[in-house]
Amino acid sequence: MLYTVDIVTENRPGVLYRIAGLLTKRKINIERINAYAVKGKGISKIFFTADVEKKVMETLAKQIYKVIEVADIKYHEVSH
Amino acid sequence: MKMSGSEILIKSLLKERVEVIFGYPGGANMPIYDALYDYGKQIRHILVRHEQGAAHAAEGYARITGKPGVCLVTSGPGATNLVTGVADAMMDSVPMVAITGQVAAEYLGSDAFQETDVMGITTPITKWNCQVTHADEIVETVAKAFYIASHGRPGPVVIDITKNAQFEEADFFYKKVVVKKLAFTNHFDDDEVRKAADLINRSKRPILLVGHGVLISGAEKEIDELTRKGEIPAAATLHGLSVMSWSNPWFVGLTGMHGKYAPNVLTNEADLVISAGMRFDDRVVGKMSEYAPLAKVIHVDVDASEHNKNIKADLPIVGDIKTFLKDLLPHINTGHRRSWREQFRILDKKEQTAEKKRLKKHRDDITMDEAIKTLSEKTNGQSIIVADVGQNQMFSARYYDFKKPNSFITSGGLGTMGFALPAAIGTAVGNPKRQTYVVVGDGGIQMTIQELGTIMQENLPIKILLLNNEFLGMVRQWQELFFDKRYSFTNMTGPNYVDLAKAYGIKAKKISKKINLRTAISEFVESKESYLLEIKVAKEGNIFPMVPTGVAVDKVRLE
Repeated sequence: MLYTVDIVTENRPGVLYRIAGLLTKRKINIERINAYAVKGKGISKIFFTADVEKKVMETLAKQIYKVIEVADIKYHEVSH
Repeated sequence: MKMSGSEILIKSLLKERVEVIFGYPGGANMPIYDALYDYGKQIRHILVRHEQGAAHAAEGYARITGKPGVCLVTSGPGATNLVTGVADAMMDSVPMVAITGQVAAEYLGSDAFQETDVMGITTPITKWNCQVTHADEIVETVAKAFYIASHGRPGPVVIDITKNAQFEEADFFYKKVVVKKLAFTNHFDDDEVRKAADLINRSKRPILLVGHGVLISGAEKEIDELTRKGEIPAAATLHGLSVMSWSNPWFVGLTGMHGKYAPNVLTNEADLVISAGMRFDDRVVGKMSEYAPLAKVIHVDVDASEHNKNIKADLPIVGDIKTFLKDLLPHINTGHRRSWREQFRILDKKEQTAEKKRLKKHRDDITMDEAIKTLSEKTNGQSIIVADVGQNQMFSARYYDFKKPNSFITSGGLGTMGFALPAAIGTAVGNPKRQTYVVVGDGGIQMTIQELGTIMQENLPIKILLLNNEFLGMVRQWQELFFDKRYSFTNMTGPNYVDLAKAYGIKAKKISKKINLRTAISEFVESKESYLLEIKVAKEGNIFPMVPTGVAVDKVRLE
């Protein structure tokens, strides 16, 4: 299932790497990714699209949310 | 008042009430060691013989005290040597603050001497990590590190401090940090508590699974009350051992791959599984799609990401197990489940028959069961057992009769051979009032055997029970059962362990005959100083019951 994941996080070195690692360890490939710092707010927004098994997505989202810097995460299926 | 980053670090550790550091000096942490030189009376430093030992010792210390274990190593190989222990702490939810020295910030990325990407290497195996390149960042980082390591689900954090930050000067004002996300652990309401009580009260065949979370939360009494009041049979995971003792008639023993026959079989007949602070590891559930097919599942865990990860929860509860049980207990009706408990006893008898048959095969040789049972008797089940990994670990789990909570320390998730000897240094330092026993095989002891030097230097009264079968026993058992007895590279020639221990000034003895077992263990237990007792055990002893990998728990094998 193709999902788009939207993340709001504290802007700090290593956060994207930590999130990417959670995908890598499950051999999930990122189809599309975009990230930017929100000016003056100390936060970043990260959006990525990836093919994730449905039963894995809930756990993956919760694991990403466990990253200390992550403030919010939402995900939804992408319709083809 | 300005002071060096190194002194700021030491003062920050003192503010976090750190009493012990397990460490090893090197080029990139020398300024920190120089600052430590002046604080010898306030902080005890234990010089290990290899950085992996520092990490495992910190784990042992953390497990026995409940406080984060602290280790301090240098950059490059110092940090990479630490990695196994950090990964181990991550898997077993052990609070740890690991401090690594790093090359000066101006050299980062230049492939400088002893430079390695510590952030890169430790990110997947830490709860949090942070690189510090300026002295004025140290206080906040340390405060945050200790908070994160010990709140919510505990885990390891790494602080990587560049050498320039250690030399640089800054002001010191310590301020504790609260990480909001981890400040509130209980995310359940009264409605969920009542739903859980309702499921339990209506269940005819419930089974409670007690995990490490119960010890972390200190909920042993609540578990005891729940089982007795509700008449609920309770099994323990490897890390949940020692929460309950056999004095509670509702305790049914270890479950999982080498757990007892009854809880494995009857999990698949249960109509309710209540999971308390455990994560349905594959070693507990066997074939996941055939696990507890008749049961509803109540899963209580402080970490929401564990719910529905391996086993689907009908009622997931996010929160601290002790708080939850305190809320739950008033709603629990007095249970009437003796006949359900009786079914476990019937299966226990079947297991005992198989066990007797197995022991008959080894009439003259000492078996691991007998060695552990004798140790258990002679120590009256009161000691701290630090088991390594493999058959020695499973026999310790099965045959030591734990009578006090938080008494079984072992590497569960990562299964790190070589864990026991250094971890025991941590438990002995963390709780000198209780006796620490290491149970280890001839494979595992040789992976971290240099830590005998640490035991010698610190004069720690650690007892080491070496179960020597001249094999990598667990792998050999699998080769026997699943690879047609093709013992591919599992036989191991060892050194003269008695001479080796003596070279480190540690008393030692070796026995191989059954008639000498009881006297030898008595002498071993009664010794006031460190002692290594090598027992030559049956070469091809096996641990049963066994749930082979990927097989349903009720297909557990007795032989």
